[in-house]
Amino acid sequence: MLKSADVLADLTAASRDGGSVDKSRTSDLVKELEAFAKGTPLPVAAPVAEPVRQEAPVAVAAPAAPEPTDDAGFQPVPFSFDDFGDEADEATPAEAEGGGRSVFTVRFKPRSDLYAKGNEAVLLMRDLAKVGDLQVICEIDALPPIDQLDPEGAYFSWLIRVETDKDEDAIRHVFEFAEWDCLFEVKPGADEALFSVHTASGEDLPMAPVPFDLSMLDEEPAAAAPVADAPAPAVVAAVSVEEAPLAPPSLPRAEKAIAAEAEKKEAAVAGVPAAPQTIRVDLDRVDRLINLVGELVINQAMLAQSVVENESGGSSAINLGLEELQQLTREIQDSVMAIRAQPVKPVFQRMGRIVREIADMTGKNVRLVTEGENTEVDKTVIDKLAEPLTHMIRNAVDHGLETPEKRLALGKNAEGVLRLTAKHRSGRIVIEIADDGAGINRERVRSKAIENGLIAPDANLSDEDIDNLIFHPGFSTAEKLSDISGRGVGMDVVKRSIQQLGGRISITSKPGKGSIFTMSLPLTLAVLDGMVVTVANQTLVVPLTAIVETLQPEKQDIHAFGPTQRLIAIRDTFCPLVDVGHILNFRSYLANPIDGVALLVESEGGGQRALMVDAIQGQRQVVIKSLEANYTNVPGIAAATILGDGRVALILDVDAVVTASRGHALSSEMTLSATG
Amino acid sequence: MSSTDAAPKTLKLPEVLDLNAASRLHEQVLAHKGEDIDIDATDVSRVGAQCVQVLLAAAVSWRADDQSLKVKQASDAFIKTLQLLGISDEALLPKEMLK
Repeated sequence: MLKSADVLADLTAASRDGGSVDKSRTSDLVKELEAFAKGTPLPVAAPVAEPVRQEAPVAVAAPAAPEPTDDAGFQPVPFSFDDFGDEADEATPAEAEGGGRSVFTVRFKPRSDLYAKGNEAVLLMRDLAKVGDLQVICEIDALPPIDQLDPEGAYFSWLIRVETDKDEDAIRHVFEFAEWDCLFEVKPGADEALFSVHTASGEDLPMAPVPFDLSMLDEEPAAAAPVADAPAPAVVAAVSVEEAPLAPPSLPRAEKAIAAEAEKKEAAVAGVPAAPQTIRVDLDRVDRLINLVGELVINQAMLAQSVVENESGGSSAINLGLEELQQLTREIQDSVMAIRAQPVKPVFQRMGRIVREIADMTGKNVRLVTEGENTEVDKTVIDKLAEPLTHMIRNAVDHGLETPEKRLALGKNAEGVLRLTAKHRSGRIVIEIADDGAGINRERVRSKAIENGLIAPDANLSDEDIDNLIFHPGFSTAEKLSDISGRGVGMDVVKRSIQQLGGRISITSKPGKGSIFTMSLPLTLAVLDGMVVTVANQTLVVPLTAIVETLQPEKQDIHAFGPTQRLIAIRDTFCPLVDVGHILNFRSYLANPIDGVALLVESEGGGQRALMVDAIQGQRQVVIKSLEANYTNVPGIAAATILGDGRVALILDVDAVVTASRGHALSSEMTLSATG
Repeated sequence: MSSTDAAPKTLKLPEVLDLNAASRLHEQVLAHKGEDIDIDATDVSRVGAQCVQVLLAAAVSWRADDQSLKVKQASDAFIKTLQLLGISDEALLPKEMLK
């Protein structure tokens, strides 16, 4: 068994580097394995105490019959990935050993939650079958007698042997969305012993490992066709039913082969350029590195500043060195960020299943089209992307798309199209979810909002305002609660989680044509483009993404509104003026707006506010340092950063400040201690 | 195997046996407890793991009671799903159906 692992490793290496492998060596090994397997009978497709010994190896061998190559000579067989692609469909355990494919053992035990949430073990298995060839053992020991059975419980668990030319991640991806609701474990390597034990002890139980590959879905199932009769030039044919079920005889041969193989491989490797190698690194280590690079960047800025201060004039050598250092640190920063950048593909792939399931539950026909799957974004963003995306997809299918009948009646294709797009736009990643459904029913949204008391019955709202109502907490138009949507956790949660990522979300909807949800997210959570401003002698950073424009208020534009509120007129509209220094308790009086600068920001709910600051220092990229981790959560402040002169600057939480400006909730908790 | 002389009744399975159908199937099967039944799965186009659980539990229980429960006919979808799930119980997946 260990040897087969060695051989497998060699084969993988050989195939990866494009080298050659020695077929005879693997065929010896295959014989061993076959013999071993025969020692413990495999009751395939015919359990219940019927003698199946004769059939057992046959079933394993059956799909192997089309194996094209073979004789037992020492002929190096050139391998390339193309070959694998061709053979993949009919690969078998035997062939897999010779094909540089890897074997994994998957243990999968769903909890009843899995089913309750609409995941289906059958679908997971079907997806898994697409990854590679399966040998499935269903463990049914937990199954109670029929009268004690909870029909919605989960009793089955599975032990699956997967042979695939993909890696472990491909398997994990299949279960990715279900992993919270099941016990799931993947181990590399074929746990043949485990399989043998199971089959041996399960002779009288229907627990036979059923060799399964996708091709079986279309072909005749691999039961008991008497392969011994078949004209089988295959590797496996050598191991006919009559052969003694003992491994030892083939051992010496295999050892000889190994020696030969080693020589051949060396020769082969020398001539073939190595494929790019990858390593797996603990995420913590990368995080630490990123943190350190952040420190380095700060330190470099500090150094540059002190050089400028101390040596006004400065020798050119120092300045040159500093410049180089600056370039280097920037490069290091970029490369370190690139380490964590990952394509959004896995998240998008998960959405495929969600769409399928929701479509199934709602009886709709949906086709998911994804674009730009290879768009890369920081891993932390990816991790947090899945949840809001899932929610939006659910919403789009459940609310957005019409039923097939309705679509046909409207002259549309019965199959709805959901388009999921990712792209880079000016240093951010933009993800769009577009459906070609009915669009937002503004009448309904409006009446529902009035019903829920979100807006006044006579409120005059633009179409856009109405669309944005669906982001209000507790807003749901679903008439009945379902598993899918309408549980009160709605788009407001989506919006909040996207905002926590420093992103924004917007809707464009055309009645009858569909809706497009667009989210724009930062590429990384570690750095931020910010506007450095001064407020009451404190330096603050305002995230650039929140700022729409900046302006210098004129006296005639400022209007008092009530005792404390002020408005500013911006091109025919009035916008509340928020004194940041006052809100954050930096000063107890309201500053004179004419002395400062107004930053027009877009806040939650789409409304605009003008934030009053004293002066703008500049715009720069800052490294985010979490306040929660190092101090405590401070209302109105999102995080902190360290500036070039070594001082701590606070990053403004624009939404919190805007919210506070409405109800003054922030001031009670706010203290000056937060100013660092 | 059967202990009753009457011809076994036939339980026809619906087209969709997803998780919503599991409870109903459970009731239907229980209603036949104590008598031989044949199961007709020709119409089945989709079957979920929970319904397979019900059917397999039934098959095991029936066998313990020395009664006969057999799937007489089945659709391809039914057979393939059972194979996919690694179920090879003789009662649910008789050998002759695999041909």
